[in-house]
Amino acid sequence: MRRLASLPPLLWLGLFFLVPFLVVAKISLSEPAIAQPPYLPLWDWADGVLSVTLDFGNYLFLATDPLYLASYLSSVKIAAISTLLTLALGYPMAYAIARAPAGRRNLLLMLVILPFWTSFLLRVYAWIGLLKANGPINGFLLATGLIDQPIVILQTDWAVYLGIVYTYLPFMILPLYATLSRLERDLLEAAADLGARPAATFLTVTLPLSMPGIVAGSMLVFIPAVGEYVIPALLGGPDTLMIGSVLWNEFFLNRDWPVASAVAIVMIAVLALPIALLRRIQAREEEEA
Amino acid sequence: MSAPLVRVEGVSKSFGTFRAVEAVDLEIRRGELFCLLGGSGCGKSTLLRMLAGFERPSSGRITIDGQDMTGVPPHARDVNMMFQSYALFPHMSVARNVGYGLRRAGASRAETAARVDEMLALVQMTHLAGRRPDQLSGGQRQRVALARALARGPKLLLLDEPLGALDRKLREETQLELKKIQARTGVTFVVVTHDQDEAMTLGDRLGVMDAGRIVQIGTPREVYEFPQTRFVADFIGTVNLFQGRIAEDADSHAEIDCPEAGERIRIPHAVTGTVGQAVSVALRPEKISIGRAAGTAPNRMQGRVGDVVYHGGATVFHVDLDTGKRVRVSRANSARTEAEAIGAGERVVLGFAGEAAVVLPA
Repeated sequence: MRRLASLPPLLWLGLFFLVPFLVVAKISLSEPAIAQPPYLPLWDWADGVLSVTLDFGNYLFLATDPLYLASYLSSVKIAAISTLLTLALGYPMAYAIARAPAGRRNLLLMLVILPFWTSFLLRVYAWIGLLKANGPINGFLLATGLIDQPIVILQTDWAVYLGIVYTYLPFMILPLYATLSRLERDLLEAAADLGARPAATFLTVTLPLSMPGIVAGSMLVFIPAVGEYVIPALLGGPDTLMIGSVLWNEFFLNRDWPVASAVAIVMIAVLALPIALLRRIQAREEEEA
Repeated sequence: MSAPLVRVEGVSKSFGTFRAVEAVDLEIRRGELFCLLGGSGCGKSTLLRMLAGFERPSSGRITIDGQDMTGVPPHARDVNMMFQSYALFPHMSVARNVGYGLRRAGASRAETAARVDEMLALVQMTHLAGRRPDQLSGGQRQRVALARALARGPKLLLLDEPLGALDRKLREETQLELKKIQARTGVTFVVVTHDQDEAMTLGDRLGVMDAGRIVQIGTPREVYEFPQTRFVADFIGTVNLFQGRIAEDADSHAEIDCPEAGERIRIPHAVTGTVGQAVSVALRPEKISIGRAAGTAPNRMQGRVGDVVYHGGATVFHVDLDTGKRVRVSRANSARTEAEAIGAGERVVLGFAGEAAVVLPA
């Protein structure tokens, strides 16, 4: 019965993750060609001889051209900074929702999810209007005399951070809320009773016990942020280097499917390694406990 | 006698329109084990939480060791609490749980470790110092919670239903152990419980609460044998209550006209009240004798046995009096077999001494 229950998710993962992944892995090992599709087959069967050609050149190429390494590092940096900003903003919000009167919590959670009712693309476009030199934000700052000339936000990394934090905030708040709302009042009172001031209670009880939510929320923000294409394309500038746009360029502009596939495979490795490492650490900690 | 450790003066607490605690006056003596006893919703936990500082009194004042506690937050009080849920920190080992309060008080690692060892030895948990709370049984968690609450050596330890989550056998053992630990440490304990047996076993004194008020304070014997209200008589132990009126009240004796009992109840001392006033007479089941023939007891009632319930230590007879009133009588089973046991359906005569009856305001 339990095996049967795990069948649908396995089937889903197999069909929509594993098969496409293998296809991409196959293409990444093919030789590019000017053809339809634009790469040569991996194997050839002629006169009873099976010849398999694995072209690792695409991966070597990624290693030799510094653009790719720079893009990966820049993507990870942008995603990491955005994740920290989202956490810093999302934690107090999740905490406040979890501590709100029971009747008001659902309303507040609704408000967090509300932006999803409008198209993501539209909302990112809206930020262009808000951030541009003669937009309302600059207009307000100029009117209040805080600045004497428009500040440039659009087409900088700051606009990308803003876009990512804005878009992914709900993904941070929801898992944080889930763990914080399960935190028993007794534990906080016990800490206070044993002499902990509110700040000490937070650091020694609330924070460690909300770690699962912090990890889950950060993963939900960090992983899609690394591969983010739309936000840097719309809000970022020419200097904003992210692997998503490199992938796009290889695929649609250069029509180099094998290199684009290699970029994608390496990106998965870049994301999967830290996750696997984290899980190993968590498993070891649980064993020790 | 030294001044009381805790003084609760006219304390009330309202939540919205609900009055949880109503004008409570209470003194708790240094080094005693005081039990707050009452049903759910009687305000006992709220009173405890006010002592801990988690709730502010709506009016009135609490002083602990002469210091006014108004506005003093929980972390600044020399009071610790053992929670009903135990509230052990799930991410910390037993030793870190016990040492938590010491570290907050600024004790060094070495001092903390020494005191943690001492506390764990006190509750016999030394061998499990490295475990996490979820790897412990209910009884073990209870011990850790007690050790943690005692570690800082508080002036006052508050225990909210400390044995509520334990099964019966473990509970009885733990009650006596808790008393021993209290005596050894000399810390003043205030225990909240809804279990009257527990309160009687543990408490040096009891405070019985009902609807936000303390209705009686006294030693377990005083509260059981000399209840001051019908509620206390009924709440503590089992009791037969008869409605009646004062028929005669002299210096040396009194008589209560009591149709439910069949005849006047004669009491060998004066009662409070005036002749003609409605009263209740409370009579404990073990203070009534039962037999086929009339005994020598000054007060007698006639009836027929309805049910006989064997409890092991005692047998309880449910007797239907000729007046229609049902009365419980219990008799200790001092012998293993009884040749002429009284059975259901038999006619019996019940008897009791006049001083066994407690006359209460109706």
